[in-house]
Amino acid sequence: MKRTTTLRLALASAVCSLALPASAQNDWPSAPLRVFVGFPAGSSPDVLARVVTDKLSERLGQPVVIENRPGAGGVIGIQQMLVSAGDGHTFGTTINGPMTTAQRMMDDTGFDVAEDIAPITLLATSPLVLAVASESGIEDLESFIAAAGAEADALSYGSVGQGSGAHLTAELFAAEAGLSMLHIPFTSYAEVTTSIIGGEIDAGFMAPSAALSFVEAGTMNVLGITSAEPFGQAPDVPVIAGSAGLPDDFRAELWNAFIAPAGTDEAIIARLNAEITDILEDPEVQEQMLGMGWQVAPGTPEAMAERIAADTEMWGAVIDRVEAQ
Amino acid sequence: MSTWDSLLLGLSFALQPQVLIYCVLGVLLGSFVGVLPGIGAMAAISLLLPLTFYMSPEAALIMLAGVYYGAQYGGAVASILLRLPGTPQSAVTTLDGYPLTQQGRAGLALFTAMISSFTGAMIGIVVLVMLAGWLSALATRFGAADYAMMMIFGLVAASTIGATRPVKGFAMIALGVLLGCIGTDVNSGAQRFTFGQTELLDGLNLVALAMGLFGVAEVIANIRNPERQKTAARISLRSLLPTRDDLRRIPLPILRGGALGSFFGALPGTGSTLSAFLAYATERRLSRQPERFGKGAVEGVAGPEAGNNAAAITAFTPTLTLGIPGDPIMALMLGALIIHGIQPGPMMLEARPEMFWGLVASFGIGNLLLILLNLPLIGIWIAMLRIPFNYLYPAIIVFLCLGVYSVRGLTFDIVLVAGIGLAGYLMTLAKFSPALLLLGFVLGPLIETNLRRALLIARGDPMVFLERPISAGFVFASVILLMLPLWRLRRRKARAYEDSI
Repeated sequence: MKRTTTLRLALASAVCSLALPASAQNDWPSAPLRVFVGFPAGSSPDVLARVVTDKLSERLGQPVVIENRPGAGGVIGIQQMLVSAGDGHTFGTTINGPMTTAQRMMDDTGFDVAEDIAPITLLATSPLVLAVASESGIEDLESFIAAAGAEADALSYGSVGQGSGAHLTAELFAAEAGLSMLHIPFTSYAEVTTSIIGGEIDAGFMAPSAALSFVEAGTMNVLGITSAEPFGQAPDVPVIAGSAGLPDDFRAELWNAFIAPAGTDEAIIARLNAEITDILEDPEVQEQMLGMGWQVAPGTPEAMAERIAADTEMWGAVIDRVEAQ
Repeated sequence: MSTWDSLLLGLSFALQPQVLIYCVLGVLLGSFVGVLPGIGAMAAISLLLPLTFYMSPEAALIMLAGVYYGAQYGGAVASILLRLPGTPQSAVTTLDGYPLTQQGRAGLALFTAMISSFTGAMIGIVVLVMLAGWLSALATRFGAADYAMMMIFGLVAASTIGATRPVKGFAMIALGVLLGCIGTDVNSGAQRFTFGQTELLDGLNLVALAMGLFGVAEVIANIRNPERQKTAARISLRSLLPTRDDLRRIPLPILRGGALGSFFGALPGTGSTLSAFLAYATERRLSRQPERFGKGAVEGVAGPEAGNNAAAITAFTPTLTLGIPGDPIMALMLGALIIHGIQPGPMMLEARPEMFWGLVASFGIGNLLLILLNLPLIGIWIAMLRIPFNYLYPAIIVFLCLGVYSVRGLTFDIVLVAGIGLAGYLMTLAKFSPALLLLGFVLGPLIETNLRRALLIARGDPMVFLERPISAGFVFASVILLMLPLWRLRRRKARAYEDSI
């Protein structure tokens, strides 16, 4: 009996010692930081998070532990972050989906972006490239649009799932170019790549890193990129905006961001924003991220909140259009 | 550069002390986590990933790969001794491996599994070296229609294994397919049977399902039936040695299993599961005494073990030659390369031959280490059965929960495992085969997705399944398999008729 009481006391004091530093930021961080990532170890968002947290732990003098909670397109990671929230040492990274489109795609994500999430900063953005098999003979955007416009659904394209960035980007592109393409959902870029090279489907908007090595091997052509300016990892790929009759402001990017549960102390958020912005200015980090297909994009928490609002609106309109079809 | 030169280059690379040590570490850790019920290669590799930041990319890959194929050896141990498979492919090994343990012949089953694993892996290596180019082209030649028909063929071929009556086997496959429907439908994005639970959006957790159906169910069965606990006492070291009869039965199944595994392993996705089930089905069909299967036939251990180890080797072909990972664990390994700034893709083999050939050489070295390590360990594994069951079972349950939790870090999955375990126990009582349920669970959703994808791509024309040669081949093979029993029945009737005259 006595042993249980001691155990309870010990547990209670352990809980208190975890909860205390949140109110006394002078000695924050006083415990290891936990960063929830909604994707499995070794995945692109996970690797990106590790690059940042590695440096972050050096700067903060505390270990930063990555907690992989994969599932539901990153939504489970955020849910789990919110469950552990409140100790001032719980954070997360997320891709754009759970912050912008997940609420539309799922019955109930279990959180409200505006109410439950405190933005810290964008980490990096990634454009998508439009890829086709080199055997198709299509070498530029004009001939692609001509081929796709021959009749409705003349060309098919692959994506990494209903409502994924790859799907919505393709639909945005089709709407702007006045086309209708047949959507074939897959679950990974690996499958989309195999299917394009095998000649089963015609095209796909893909992460540059997933497509570029096949361009080098001569089995794929990339026709354009969705960023506003040429992308560092693939400087030769022309931007889609303003070419082949597409509007000058055509832009579609995936992004990755560092977030905290709402209610996290302002001072902690400011400190993390400053540290991470600093880390992202390191040329070595920039190069490492570029190698993985990510362009660093540090900014203020306010700028990130604006980006969330703007993207939610833009993709919301695309989803409306897809659902109307 | 000739294949021989390349292989020598690989060997000289893999035998460097600082590379060799990581290979040893990898296979040791792999066979260790493989034995722990529920904790598989995925969990171990996720844990090791941060460590690989500080290693050369080649050494990192060799170590992680060692964990991957090393876990196959360990997985057989848990399946044979405790009926605790961590993956669908080792579930096949329980079908005859566990009955052998119950007969006090666990030593023989483990010996067979080890020898088959080793030989199967060696066959895989030879096939990989000789046919790497051809195998990697295979991955892009298979379209959605081909996958759909190949997996239907797999289901048809495996539908009767492990079941006392065909209708029971069929029922289990159907239940597995239904359970596989839970989650987000790839084609439409619709959420099916999720009841608003985010945890179910990606479907049931495979590890939770396997651990519940086999592990928890087995623990309950043993607690209820103390007679089953006496098996351990009957095991003697003599039973380890195969009889002349056993030795005669093993070689051909190993060769067939190795060949099947080498082929199906090279296909991204379900290669290793399919090859284990197909190897088992093949042995049962070819056997003169199919009734021995499920009651402790060594062929039923040899074939699938050779098959899944061969598949574990050739599964690296699409991953390394195309940069297309065949399963989530392979994707994780490629992630380790990406951290080092290496972009996986079709150029990797040309740009870094020492990595590819070093890895291939390390397969050989690693498997040699594994067999040398595991054969002497058989005695120790068997001794594990002598642990009083009131200590062993709570420990098993703890490891089960750890293993299931390690996949996604969700307590939901632990609750799930308890529920599935209860259902699994009821199935065992009614003599339904949980292995077939797992097969249906894995293949069902893939068949559906690929079938609908193929039709979508063909703009709704069902002829696509007959127009593509690979798909048509599998349709033809499935039809023959289905007709075979009818034909036999007719022949038997005809003969009976002749006899009556």
